[in-house]
This record gives sequence, C-alpha cells and structure tokens, in this order.
Amino acid sequence: MYRNLAEKYRATKYEELYGQDKAIDELKKFLKEFPKRKGIILYGPAGTGKTSLAIAAAKENNLEILELNASDLRNRLKLEQIVKPATEQRSLFKTSKIILMDEADGITGTDIGGIPELVRLIGTTKYPIIMTCNDVWQSKLSPLRAKCKLVEMKALSTLSILELLKKISEKEGINKNISFLSQIVLKSQGDVRAAINDLQSYAYDHNILVDPSEKRDIEENIFNILKKLFKERSPFLDLFDNTKLSLDEIFLWIEENIPREYKNEALAKAYYALGQADVFRGRIYRDQSWRFLIYQNIFQTAGISYAKKTPSQGFTRYENPKRILKIWLHNQKTEKKKTIAKKYARLVHCSLKRVMRDFDLLRPILKQPGVQTQLKLSEEEMDFLTK
Amino acid sequence: MSQTDIWTEKFRPSKFEEVVGQHEIIKRIKSLVQAMNIPHFLFAGPAGTGKSTLALIVVKDLYGPTWKENYLELNASDERGIDVIRQKVKDFARTKAIKNVPFKVIFLDEADALTKEAQQALRRTMENYSNTCRFILSCNYSSKIIDPIQSRCVSFRFKILEKKDISEIIKRVSEKEGLKISQDAYESIYEASGGDCRKAINLLQATASIAIDINSEMISMIAASTKPTGIKVILDYALAGDFINARDKLLDVMLKESIAGTDMIKAIQKEIWNLQIEPELKVKLTEKTGEAEFRMIEGSDEFVQLQALLASFVLAGQGKTL
Repeated sequence: MYRNLAEKYRATKYEELYGQDKAIDELKKFLKEFPKRKGIILYGPAGTGKTSLAIAAAKENNLEILELNASDLRNRLKLEQIVKPATEQRSLFKTSKIILMDEADGITGTDIGGIPELVRLIGTTKYPIIMTCNDVWQSKLSPLRAKCKLVEMKALSTLSILELLKKISEKEGINKNISFLSQIVLKSQGDVRAAINDLQSYAYDHNILVDPSEKRDIEENIFNILKKLFKERSPFLDLFDNTKLSLDEIFLWIEENIPREYKNEALAKAYYALGQADVFRGRIYRDQSWRFLIYQNIFQTAGISYAKKTPSQGFTRYENPKRILKIWLHNQKTEKKKTIAKKYARLVHCSLKRVMRDFDLLRPILKQPGVQTQLKLSEEEMDFLTK
Repeated sequence: MSQTDIWTEKFRPSKFEEVVGQHEIIKRIKSLVQAMNIPHFLFAGPAGTGKSTLALIVVKDLYGPTWKENYLELNASDERGIDVIRQKVKDFARTKAIKNVPFKVIFLDEADALTKEAQQALRRTMENYSNTCRFILSCNYSSKIIDPIQSRCVSFRFKILEKKDISEIIKRVSEKEGLKISQDAYESIYEASGGDCRKAINLLQATASIAIDINSEMISMIAASTKPTGIKVILDYALAGDFINARDKLLDVMLKESIAGTDMIKAIQKEIWNLQIEPELKVKLTEKTGEAEFRMIEGSDEFVQLQALLASFVLAGQGKTL
C-alpha cells in the first residue's frame, strides 16, 4: 500500500493546483485561442506544478495527452517518427489531444537535432504543444522561445503548501501539528513535491524533528565554501553538496586561492592534496570510474583543510580563478599570431611550429611593408604586429 | 624569380653551385639528378642546414620553370594525420608530370614527427605511387625513421654549418643589402645561430631593421630579447617563497612559448641540478618531478601538477621537504 504521496496527490483538476491561478488562466486562454499560437512553455522551479497543470488541462478538456519527457530519447529522428504523426492525425477515440514535451531543457546534446525539429513541429502541428522547463532563458531554447507563449510558474507560497499538507495529512490520517508541518514547508522553499515527500518520510515517526537549519538546495556561495574549507573546517563530505557550482569549478577556486591562505609547509601540503584530488579526477575522466569521486572529494576538502595544523584566522580576499580566463585570452590573442605564422610558413618552406617558436625574432621582419604585402596580411594582422 | 623582402627566401640558393657547405652531398645529388633517374631521398640533419633548399634545387633543376606544378611540399608536423597526407599525395599523383620527367616530386618535411604507425602507412603510400612520384623526406634524426623507409631511400646526412660557412653567407647577404658589419658581429651571429643558417639570416634582417651599421652588441641585444624566458626565473621565485609570482610566470611562459606541460617538466628536471640548494634536496625534488611527469602522462591536469611541484620548491627554498 506504500504509495508515493506526491504522485497520489498530484493535481488532476485546475482547482487542485495551489497558488497558480494566473498560470491556469494563461493556459486556458492559450487553449481557447489555439491555433493562434501553437506552443506554450510553462517554466519555473521544481515542484511548482508544471507537469500537473498540463495533465490537468487535458483532463478538464477531455483531451488525450501524448507525453515525452527527459527519459525518452528526443532526437530529431524520434520526434519525427513519433511526435510528428501525432501532430498530424486525429487520435482514435477522442476528438482532440495535447502534446506534452516535459522537461524541454533536458533535450541535450545527445538528442541531435531535437530542438530544431521541435521548432518545426510547432510550425506544422494541428494540436497544442505544451512544454515545461526550469530555465527558459538558456540559449539553446531561444528558437523555441520565439515561437511560443511563455508562462511562468512561481514557487508556491508557504501558505499554499501548508494548506495542501494539512489536507493530505488529514486524508492520510497522519496526525501532525501545525508547527511540525510549518517546518517542512519552510524547508521545502516552495517545492511542493519536496514538501509532500518530506511529509511522507516523517509521517510515521513521531519523534523525529525537522531541523530547520538543514535547508534544501541552499546555494552556498563560493566564498562561504572557501571560508568553511580554510577557516571553519566544517563537515566535509557534504560541503560541496549545497551549491550549483560543479566540483571542477570549485577545484579551480581552491587552486587559485591556496597561496592566499597558506604559506610554506601548509602550501606544499595543500597542493599535494590538490594534486591527489586531480589524479583521481583524471582516473574518473579516463575510465568513467565514478567510484573515485569520493577520493577526489576527500582530498579536495579535508586534504586542503588539514594542510595546516590550526585553521587560518582573519579575513582573506579570495580571488576568481584566473587560469582559464588567461588561457582563453591568450588563445584569442595568438589567433592572429597563428594566421600570420601560417602564411609566412608556407612562403618560407618551414613548419608552422618552428615559425611560432621563432616568432619574436621574425617580428621586425614581418613588420616591413614589403613583407606584409607579399604575405597579404589583413589589417587586423598588421595591427597585431605593431602592438 | 619573384621579388621578396624576406631575406631567407631572397637569398635562398636556386642552383647547386650557389649552396654554401655540404659539398659532398651536393656533388652526389647533382650527378643523380643529371642522370634524370633519382631514387627516393632521405635528408637527415639539424634545422637550417639546407635540406629544404636542396629539395627545391632538385625540382628546379628537373622541371625548370614548371617546377611548381610538379612539386608538393608537406610538413608532417603540421598536417593533422597520415590520412591528410595520403589524400594530398593521391590528389597530386593523379596527374602526370611533364614529358621528359616521368615522375613528380613530393617533399615531406619533418618526417620524423610521424608516429611509427603513420610511417608504416607512409611506406605503403610510397610504394603505391612509386611509378609517378619520388619522395624526398627530411628529418632531424634518421634514427626516428623506420627501417623499411630508410631502406627505400638514399640517405644524406647534413652537417651543421661551420663558422666560415655562416660568415660567408652573412657576407654575401650584407653586400647585396648594403650593410656594414663589424668583424666581431660575424662571431656573434654565428654564436647566436648555432650553425642554423635560417636563424642567422633572420637575426641579421631583424637587426638590420634597426640600423645598417651592425656590430656585435646589437646582434647580442636582439638575440637576447628574443630568447625564451628561462625556467630558472620561475624556480627562483619559488625558492624565494613567492609562489604567486612563480605560478603566474609559469603560465605566462607556457602560453607565450607554446610549451606543453610535459616539456616544461623536462626543463625543470634539467634545471634542478643547477640550483643553489643542498644535493639532498635536489634528489628529493627530482623525485617529485618524476612523480609529476608520470601523473601528467597518466592524464592529470598539467598545470595542477606543476603547481604542486612549485609548492615543493617553495619548501625546498627553506631547506625543507614534505
């Protein structure tokens, strides 16, 4: 009988959707005016009811629903084979239907041609297409944005969620007082699904107390992480869990800032630990052995913290990782150097590599007008040489 | 011949008689070319000793004014793979050479940059087109060329140019260009060039862009300004405890001179024994260097490992090790 409460209480009617009246109105309008616009994107944070709203819309209007989400491969071919016929034909028994493209931002690089095909489908479809996504403003979705109506679904107010939790606990016979429910609501930060899941997990345990400080998905900013790492030595293994930064990004930040925090022996020890973390990272990349992630993590946290016997004191001005930017800038700069060197190398029967190496010696020669004309240098290339 | 302001091209010899040095080689090649039946050639020797020049002279002698249509120059270190080379060779070999010469010539520069596997493929290509093409391969070390290719070629070993040869060339160029060169400047040019003719002429032209009266100091100044920043500067910063500067310098040098991490680490390994620290520390640092090199080959991030190594140098600067 153990059923996921979040699924059980998924809204199937407009009236069961809490706190999304505006979005409901917009969707109603869209369906009524169809085919004025053929696609609509519902966007917003997790657990705000995007998928539920789409499903509710189908139920309310007695429409069939064709759903594709991130777990399906959604490349061009697949869309063409499955979705395209559906956008053209009438469905068997019901008069009309809705096509739901769930988690549209999950159409990834492996779904080759997925987005362009989706854009094409929106142009030709005979039925409304509803898409959902968390972040509508990412660039890969820009061709979709242009074609669709955008409807934002905001994180739910604490009151709406509390109301819902109360209703569910009554129905389920979970006897929890308001202050307990409020704690779950606070922790959920507007994510209904997370709130219901929490309610379920605490439902049959009377003693457990929700720790309000244990907040879900708090974005620790990187400065705090570094501070914790170098100065507070707080719990390690989950230090990086509450941030949207990837482990690689954090790695760069640590790499950049070790010398601002440590000197001498601590410096050497910290870089030794970072080197170890890097070795495991290399193994993960090479063999896809994600098991090693735990080792990278420990070296990258505890290894750095305990490089010094006592934690660092006082304020440290942490700086942005410069390495990647520097390499990028350099490549931008040497772009011209390379094109010049290529032209020159061909002329003097010499390898590009050698010309690149001797470039400083050749610079005064390359500056001569006669040489520049012979090499047919562009204006930008000439500018590069005089800089 | 078309006019050019690039002296290495302007003064490149176009006849056998104009070449300075390499007398034996020239005598043998000339007789082979005049017999009109040349085999494949393998030119081995250091940079700037006349390998490309001689290949050009061969084709100019064979084809006269139409040499450009019958000559393909490829650089193995620049072409991305053997497949590119094979395709280009194929396209080039498809059409016939002019009547009285039954073959075309392909010059493959820096052939020792090819892997062993690529060389095997090249060998097959050489065989497939042996009726229509002759290959001239050039390399720095013939030991890096696989035996089957070597056995199909007539090999020539180019020697580094002597001081009198370089001076002769510099004299010719400066007479034509109206430069005045002091006696000790000849010396400096030879020293800085290390017997590399291309480098000597480039150095002369770079200096001549400042003045036509050239002395030893000017040559040394230009040569020094274009000399790559030594690894020593980086290590000195580290030994003095200035990690941040050492690291910045390291990245600058690697980017500016396009040096790979594995090459950097080799340079560091060599430099360790010139440092003013205890031999005991040198051994320890060598161990660290070896470990870092091993890790790079295994797939670690070059710059992270180099930083870790630099941190060991900081410690060594205080007479300590980890």
